[in-house]
Amino acid sequence: MENRIKHILLSVLPLAGLLAFSPTVSAQDDDRPLIEPDVRPQKVDEALIDTENFEIGAFAGIINIEDFESSFLWGGKLTYHLSETFFFEANVGFAEGGDTSFEKLAGDVRVLPDDEREYRYYNINVGMNVLPGEAFLTENYAFNTNFYLIGGAGATDFAGDNRFTINVGAGYQVLLTDSLSIHLGVREHFYRIDVLGEEKTSLNTEVSAGLSVFF
Amino acid sequence: MRLALILLLLTAPLSAAADWLWGGADEPMPQVQVAEPFVEWRTGPAVGYPVFHTSEKGEWLTLRMRKTSWLKVTDRKGREGWVHIDDVQLTLDGEGEQVSLTNPRFDDFSSRSWEAGLMMGEFEGAAVTAIYGGYLLTRNLSAELWGSQVLGSASEIRMVNANIVHQPFPHWRISPFFTLGVGHIFIEPKATLAAPDDRDNSIGHAGLGVRAYITDNYFIRAEVKDYKIFTNRATNEEATEWKIGLSIFF
Repeated sequence: MENRIKHILLSVLPLAGLLAFSPTVSAQDDDRPLIEPDVRPQKVDEALIDTENFEIGAFAGIINIEDFESSFLWGGKLTYHLSETFFFEANVGFAEGGDTSFEKLAGDVRVLPDDEREYRYYNINVGMNVLPGEAFLTENYAFNTNFYLIGGAGATDFAGDNRFTINVGAGYQVLLTDSLSIHLGVREHFYRIDVLGEEKTSLNTEVSAGLSVFF
Repeated sequence: MRLALILLLLTAPLSAAADWLWGGADEPMPQVQVAEPFVEWRTGPAVGYPVFHTSEKGEWLTLRMRKTSWLKVTDRKGREGWVHIDDVQLTLDGEGEQVSLTNPRFDDFSSRSWEAGLMMGEFEGAAVTAIYGGYLLTRNLSAELWGSQVLGSASEIRMVNANIVHQPFPHWRISPFFTLGVGHIFIEPKATLAAPDDRDNSIGHAGLGVRAYITDNYFIRAEVKDYKIFTNRATNEEATEWKIGLSIFF
């Protein structure tokens, strides 16, 4: 009788241990799975593979609007990854121009009415991932990163008109997971403006940070 | 002894519940078997990322996610990595047949059914930005819808156009085309000019251009169009436009 109890104890206990801790055991170096799955893999159904080539995101930062101070900027973007290197990106951004130095010095003068100080832009760009890399957080954990160059064209609605705007810049992307990433970017926006006398090229520098999700 | 049995009975359903909760192995993820001597795993979805592991012939890989031409795979030990689609195409599925995943090639370019793109250029000396979408009715003929914005020093112009495109040689890598279409133009003079009021007119256009296949599912498109603007004055106006851009096809 005692023998039988011992037998049950010895055979059941290790089994219980195995089942309870099987994930830890299988994560070790043994190549052979503990329990061979008896489900036979079937034909590959492509619809079951999640394709994540689109990215949608929001950003916030500072834009220096030439002659009109620096302002808070916010916006959104949509990206389509054509390949591992190239991507299309569409942006919209919103800010508000401040006062010119002339307005501050001269006192009660307004160069633009308030509603014409609303600064809105859209642009469509082509980007290129030039330096894919990894950022190491700890000894065992790394985030994938990308450094990219980007440029394109669009329009800026400011001072009463829509102005053709070219933008170029660069960004750094850190992929927190395969579907979530952080962007840090710098852009230079160029357009022609004649609000303050002679027509000239206005250079507006944008520095922003954003969060995006792949889908 | 009884304690062990009770523990066993208690933990078995719990671990099953945990699998369900964390989306464990029970999700139906496609699996493939390596048929080449080995496949390389990279840490990220691009050739710039380092190879950190290889799977040998006979190993089973689970396909988790796809980004452009790369598939995220896991093996039986739970390792994660990225394998290029060209390598996955050489693996076998559960029935022992070669896996086939959509990987656009030049062959698909001539049999595409949709295309869309973004183009930039010049419209009578002013910068033009345009987007379009097109559907291929036959191998030679497609219908397109365009939206354009022209930002000049004197006015802002918006245009919508619908056109028919004919390509005589659809199987050429660099394929020329002719186009004819109609649309509408909206002209808004700049605020700083004491210009006449906004106006809008019907337009007709004819043009020619070329599509040049690059790789995967994208191509470069360039075109020149001549627009006739039907004004309600004595004479009609004419405008010439050229554009170049990048398009994708499905």
